Amino acid sequence: MNRADGDTDRRRRFGTLCESLRPDLLRFAWWLARDRGVAEDVVQESMLRAWKSFDSLTDESKAKAWLLTIVRRELARTYEKKRPELADVDALIAAESAALAAPEDERVEEMRSAIFRLEEDYREPLVMQVLLGYSTKEIAEMMGMQQGAVLTRLFRARAQLRQQLGLAPEAAP
Amino acid sequence: MMACLEFRRRVGAEPAAAEAGVLEHRRDCPACARYQDELRAMDALIERALKVSLPAKPQEPVEAPADASRRRLLAIAASLVAGTAVGIVLLLSAPRASIAREVIGHIRHEPGTMDTTAPLTPAALAQVLDPDGTRLRPDVGDVTFAARCIFDGRVVPHLVVRTPGGPVTVLMLRHRTISEPFHIDEQGYEGVVMPAPKGSIAIVGQGIANLDAVAQKVFDAVDWGR
Repeated sequence: MNRADGDTDRRRRFGTLCESLRPDLLRFAWWLARDRGVAEDVVQESMLRAWKSFDSLTDESKAKAWLLTIVRRELARTYEKKRPELADVDALIAAESAALAAPEDERVEEMRSAIFRLEEDYREPLVMQVLLGYSTKEIAEMMGMQQGAVLTRLFRARAQLRQQLGLAPEAAP
Repeated sequence: MMACLEFRRRVGAEPAAAEAGVLEHRRDCPACARYQDELRAMDALIERALKVSLPAKPQEPVEAPADASRRRLLAIAASLVAGTAVGIVLLLSAPRASIAREVIGHIRHEPGTMDTTAPLTPAALAQVLDPDGTRLRPDVGDVTFAARCIFDGRVVPHLVVRTPGGPVTVLMLRHRTISEPFHIDEQGYEGVVMPAPKGSIAIVGQGIANLDAVAQKVFDAVDWGR
């Protein structure tokens, strides 16, 4: 195999990874940014950064966590550069109404709005746990937190969602 | 035994928790067991809610440039010169320039691809084309490179085909619609971008004899599928 063919294989592997993981990465970025345009830009830039450092990914079974870390960093960079004004959640919901809509089940739509209203500290670990399937230990590692702190955030996230949906939020029996 | 409060804090953070202490508490406390069941049902709803459908952005209007800054620039230009010949020229030439720049930029970013020589197996080619339901007839020439590349924020098939006239890069741009074919002649590359049944296709090479005929042959060999 000459160098160009080796490069071909590398590109093919990267393309396959991107294609399979991009939908969830885009969803993750969207739930964090709550803005479709920002999410798309962040994921696109992340893919470019990932391509440049693809050689550093020695174990492709860890590609999802690797790409997620890049997306998280890119989100942080984006908001460092452009500090968003205090978010008007109702305006965000109106702006993203197409993605939030779930005409087939209004409970899903209610839940989407409720998640949109969660503070980012609670929203992020919840998305990582439920959408991306990470354990609390893995979330703690990625977020640089103690596992106990992640458990607390997840507990509070669900309690707030229950409250928003009119269910008893109390943990006590 | 785990206390109710501890149990509820545990399953409130991880409704799927099923370690021995949790199972034991569930067995002895129906109220807490119901609480965990409720949370599991809520998690199923959360999961459905999180799986938003974020399809590709609506297709750009014909001849619109790709990114927001160019859109803004074009909008400003159009508002300033609306109705004038200059405006018309800008509107018509911007997307072509945009596509040409992006195509050449992509090829230059991946210079080694044009030097590939080993023909890919049909399976390797199918791996790249299948996601879009596209096919390429083998008589067009050996495909020596095939990948799904990020182009203009989308994943597109990128092939190198060894035609009798020389190797050409083929980019299948399903998301870029154009109304008529145009030529590219930039930075030592020559090519043709043609309207296709699904978006457009760019066929680019270097020093290709009878480029238009080669491009037409490649175009004819593509089955765009569904």
